[in-house]
Amino acid sequence: MKPIVQIFLFVVLPFSALANEYAVVSNAKMKDLTRLEIRAIFLKKITLLDDTELVPINLEALDPLRLKFEKELLGMSFSRLKSYWTQEHYLGHRPPISMKSQESIKAFIPKIDGSIGYLNIENVNENMKILYRWSD
Amino acid sequence: MYKIILLFLLAFSLHAENEYELGKGLQAGSLPLYLGGYFSADYRHMDEEDRYRFDDLALLGYGNYDKFSYMAEFEYKTLYSYTKTQQEDTTEKDLTLHIERLYLDYNYNENYALRVGKYNSPIGFWNLLPINVLRQTTSYPVSTDILFPKFTTGLNAAYTSYSDCELHVDLMLQHNEDFDNKYNNYKIDEHYGITLLYEKENYALKANAGYFHQLENLENPQNLYYYLVSAKYEAESYEFLAEVGSQYSQNATTTPYAAYIQGLYRFTQQHIGSIRLESYKDNITNSDDSISVFAYTYRPIYPVALKSEYQLHSISTQNQLLFSISVLF
Repeated sequence: MKPIVQIFLFVVLPFSALANEYAVVSNAKMKDLTRLEIRAIFLKKITLLDDTELVPINLEALDPLRLKFEKELLGMSFSRLKSYWTQEHYLGHRPPISMKSQESIKAFIPKIDGSIGYLNIENVNENMKILYRWSD
Repeated sequence: MYKIILLFLLAFSLHAENEYELGKGLQAGSLPLYLGGYFSADYRHMDEEDRYRFDDLALLGYGNYDKFSYMAEFEYKTLYSYTKTQQEDTTEKDLTLHIERLYLDYNYNENYALRVGKYNSPIGFWNLLPINVLRQTTSYPVSTDILFPKFTTGLNAAYTSYSDCELHVDLMLQHNEDFDNKYNNYKIDEHYGITLLYEKENYALKANAGYFHQLENLENPQNLYYYLVSAKYEAESYEFLAEVGSQYSQNATTTPYAAYIQGLYRFTQQHIGSIRLESYKDNITNSDDSISVFAYTYRPIYPVALKSEYQLHSISTQNQLLFSISVLF
């Protein structure tokens, strides 16, 4: 191996191993979803799927993972989402429920059909279904 | 007016959550009932006229249970209006509580939904968020007022599909009189319309067409047909919106064209500037005009809007300065 490649791998690999990975997860019974469908569920444009009421779950406002999720999946900033939910209030729609910690989401999702949330990948377990993965 | 205040106070007393946030409404206890409302007041200055108006005070109630959801909106339209001209001063009051929206939705599945009742006709983009606090400017484009009925009372069947884009179809069906005929821009007893929406990323395109039958207006045509084509591009700090439409009767063109293009720029989330260029020709009122609207909006928080705008008309006597304050609660 050429020295320059060795130096590159030596410098880059440790950082790539440190890249944080996240997942949108659901109750195991959920069917596969596209990125656009996940977006529509968190914007409450889709509220039913296969006759099951959907329960999207957010972390609390300004939680770093929530902000990453909103940027990656919804493509909207915190302030733009605030204005979106103000408009939706006029249209009769409520924002997703919020939970304080990933631990709460982790406990909730396997028990409730139609529930969908997002977690650090290390918090995902075999009782959940991974719908979408992304990393920093 | 007291009824609305009392209802809101009652909801506050039943409110289950600790924190109330403006613009989000509140839940009545643990019932499937959320309450909210809005109000708006404005001032208009023209060369020969000044008008002060407290024009909207409304209460919203909505909720959902299983596959059903509902919306009720009652409004005092013109609570108080004072107009001063060189010749006279006039005061107008309408203390009738109007039904603005009242409908029940049934979501059959993720693709199909049915609505019954009185609702905002889902035509174009402006007509879905018609209240002052949610609009980008105090005034609204003429095309949203003269081409089609703003409200439909009857059925709405909707189809939505998500794959790599959003496709949405609305069918509007009205074959009866309005719940509240005074509260619509056209008094109608029939309305059949279709809306097609295509949305991907930040773009949205919409095509609308329909027919309606107008009541109580024997001088003017009663069977009217309309179309409206709309386009929107929305980014984090700016937005473009354009709509163009026309209206016909069986024998003639009633509105050959009504169109606008609007650009909006968010300097910050609080400070927003917008420019709208409008033009229309209306054969029913025998009027045509071109309007340039320059507007600035200050939103200390999103549900509160302080707006100013200047309208430059091709008919210069129509030039006007507008200020408004509006709140969604």
